[in-house]
Order: sequence, then structure tokens, then C-alpha cells
Amino acid sequence: MNLFLQQLLNGVIIGSTYAVIAIGFALVFTVLRVINFAHPDIFMVGMFGGLLCAKYVSSNFFVVAAASALSAGLVGLILERAVLRPLRGRDALMTLIATLGVGIMLENGVAALISPDVVAFPPVISRQPIDLGAVSVSKPQIVNLIVSLISLAIVSYYVRLTPYGRATRAVAERPDVAAAFGVNVSRVSQVAVTLASMLAGCAAVSVGLLYGNAWAFIGLAYGIKGFICILIAGNRYFEGVMLVALALGILEALITGYLSSTYRDAIAFLLLIAVLYVRPNGLFGSYST
Amino acid sequence: MTPLLAISDLHVAYKAVPALSGVSIELFEGEILVILGANGAGKTTIVKSILGLTNIQRGSVSLRTDDASHDLRKLQTHQIHRLGVTWVPEGRQLWGAMTVLDNLKMGGFASDPTETRQRIEEMLDWFPRLRERQDQLAGSLSGGEQQMVALARALIARPKLILMDELSLGLAPLVVAEVFQLVKKVNSLGVSVLLVEQNARQALRIATRAYLLEVGHVVESGPAAELANKQSVQDIFLGGHS
Repeated sequence: MNLFLQQLLNGVIIGSTYAVIAIGFALVFTVLRVINFAHPDIFMVGMFGGLLCAKYVSSNFFVVAAASALSAGLVGLILERAVLRPLRGRDALMTLIATLGVGIMLENGVAALISPDVVAFPPVISRQPIDLGAVSVSKPQIVNLIVSLISLAIVSYYVRLTPYGRATRAVAERPDVAAAFGVNVSRVSQVAVTLASMLAGCAAVSVGLLYGNAWAFIGLAYGIKGFICILIAGNRYFEGVMLVALALGILEALITGYLSSTYRDAIAFLLLIAVLYVRPNGLFGSYST
Repeated sequence: MTPLLAISDLHVAYKAVPALSGVSIELFEGEILVILGANGAGKTTIVKSILGLTNIQRGSVSLRTDDASHDLRKLQTHQIHRLGVTWVPEGRQLWGAMTVLDNLKMGGFASDPTETRQRIEEMLDWFPRLRERQDQLAGSLSGGEQQMVALARALIARPKLILMDELSLGLAPLVVAEVFQLVKKVNSLGVSVLLVEQNARQALRIATRAYLLEVGHVVESGPAAELANKQSVQDIFLGGHS
């Protein structure tokens, strides 16, 4: 029972990180109809933005988190203006390849400028475990969970309750009609990409603190999981993507606890294949492209 | 008299296929102008060209406001809306995954929030059935109810000109009559209407003037009553009798 509760907790924590990354993919995909393959590497840039801030500026957690969010947000903003906007309306494959190229450039740029190897993330928060009886949890785990939940709450609030969020959903479903009702589609796209990038930056710093290290090529592992979540859930409901990400995290943790971490990724992909076979538009449906 | 909307020598093509070839149309303030034509005649392309949603090859589209004449080809779609142009698209094109209320709020996206709230209340008084269903997803409504949402959404921003594309498409005959009465009511409030229709009989009854479009060309134009009596219009649209 203890193992189950422990793995459940671990699963919720990692699942909430997947959720933040998946929501980033979903926001950009629903608004711009492109898969932003640079998103996982923007997550990585956020991680290194936080690392450099912790090393050279301040080790206050909030300052580090802000530096991560801002550095990732800035890269997202530049990506939107320099790559995504000029390619809007072109073949989706062009944007896909362009974002993939930006991702590779970011990975290799950070590897060349900082290090191609795994580097230690400064211990901004104590890694001392806290005993909760049946389970034990570390402070970075708690921070990771809180950061992810706050990020998801921000996205939910934004898309459900703000006029711009409503416009984001309108653009996602019918961009021409949204424009005809006064929505500046370029502005909405810019906000969506920047918000997704800033959230990825926040998630990245909490992951860096959780594992105590950062790596220029870390984006791929998290990016694939985030991408699987959006494919399984479909892009129609952001809350559906969050739910699938949490479920995937829990499933992976239980597999690791009861079987072996060797099967963890294989089961995630099997799940994806099974869902797409039965429901090609995802569990909660997708906007048509 | 200067027209509110002037389209001159408009040429539009989708890839290599021409959709409009030299179309010229004028719409005057306060009138209901009907564009009639069969499927593929280019009616919707005219509406989309006014909204900046097509790739215009040649010609001009201009809109007059109180202070100036605006070349719509130089503006983006969201800027055209801010000049007072709204749209009831073919097939309603509501945001089906959003509630009725959210659809109406989007109608006032570019307007003052307080005024939008007041306008939504007015629209819910106009369409009491929508008040009952305001929290329902728009995609779950019947065709007639969806058309009410589409009309209400277009009226929220107090437009000068409303573009209505195939209002009667897919609606039951009783609902169609109700919808055309609503168009008259909208027009009586001072809103100019450009109505694109295949239902010539109903459309000509409420219109001030009309244009007849065939494969991208204007072939007839004039006062609606005159056009309704023309043999060519009767043969094509009115089954040989008015």
C-alpha cells in the first residue's frame, strides 16, 4: 500500500509537469495549427535561464522562476515573430521543419555555449525529504507540483474567463470568423506562443530543482511525453489534455514501481497507438484542421 | 449619393480558377441589397472579399464611414470589423465548442465591455429562446436556434453594415419566414444589409435592390420589385411565376 501511495504521488508530480508541456503544445497547435517542435527546447532554454540566474544573480526561488519564465518567453516571442508568423498560411510541413530546425539550433547553441554534458542545478531549495507517514516527499517535489498546478490554473483561467482567452478558443475553432469579429489573429497567436513558452520555462526550473541537474538535450524526453498527451486527449479541451498528462504520469510511476522503468515508455506508446486506433481524434475530440 | 459600400471591377480567383470577373456592386446606406445566384456563382466570394478573406487580383472595395472612405483591400479583417461591418456566415459557423453566451460575448470582442453586456441583454430579449439556452454549447442547438445566435452575434457590435450569407440554407420553411422578418427588423433599425441568397422569392420580397450573379459576372441589377418580374429571374429562381 505504501508503495502504491508513493508511486501515485510521484506520478501526480511528474504528470503535472507533462501537463504543463502538453498544454504548451496544445495552445500553439490549436491557435496556429502547427506543431511547435521547438517547444521542448524552449523548455530547456528556460531551465538554463533559471540555472544561470541561480548561479550568477540570485538563488531566491521566485527570482530564478521568473528568470526561467522570461528567458523561455523571450525565445517564444522571437520564434513567433521570426518563424511562425512569416510561415502562416503556408504548408504545415514547412512550419514543422522550421520549428524542428529552431529546436536543434537551441539545443546545440546551449551545448556549445554552456556544456553538452549534464550540469548541476544549484540547490535553490533544500532537497531534504519530508516524511508524511506512508509516503515521503521532497521540497523540490512539492514545488514542482505547486508550480505545475498554478501554471495549469493560469491557462484554465486565461482560456475560460478572459476575453483574450475566449478569442484564443475562437481562433482555434474558426480563425476567419474570429477575425471578422475583430480578433487580431496575429496578436492572439503571439500571446499563445509566449504564454506557452513562459509556462514551459516555469516547469523547466522546477524539473531542474527536482533532479538537481540540467541538460541541453533534456527537451526531447519531456517533449515526446507532452506530444503523446495531446495526441491521446485531442486538442478540443485543454482540461482533457491536463487529465491525460496526469494519468500518463501516474501510469508511468506505477509501472516503474511495480514492473520496471524499462517498460515505462513502451507502455506510453502502446497506449497512444490503442487510443488513436479507437478514437483517431483523441479521447476528448479535436478541432478539424 | 455616395454609396456606403462600393465594389468596382472585382477579380478574384482560387488558384487558377476565376470566381469573380469584373464584378461591380454598390450598396447605399439603409438599404437591403440582395445578391442572387446559383451555387458557384461567386456570391460568397463577394462577401469574403469585403471582409478581406480572399486574394483579390484586381479591383477595389471601399467603405464609407462618417469621416472618410476606406480602401478595404489595405485593411486586415479585424480592422474591417472595427469600421462597423459584421457577418452572418453561410452555415452559421458558430463556435460550437463555446456556449451561446460566449458566442455573443465574442460578437462584442472589439466593443466596450459595458456596452457589450447591455447589447447581449437586448439580444436575449429579442430571442427569448437564447436566454433559456445561454449556457448550452452552441453546437448543440437546432438549426433555427443557431441562426438566431449567428444573427444576435452579428448585431452585438451595433454594425453599420451586416453581411448575411445564405440565411435560409438548411432551415425549415416556417423558420425561414421568421428569419426574413428579422432581417427587415434589423434593417428598420438603420442597419444596411447585404444579403446573399438562393431563396430568391423571400429575398426579393424584403429587398430594396438586387443583383443577379452568374458564374462570376453580374448579369442583371435593379430595384427588387422590377427584378422579381423579369422573365430571366423568374425562369431561374422563381419557377416561372412570381
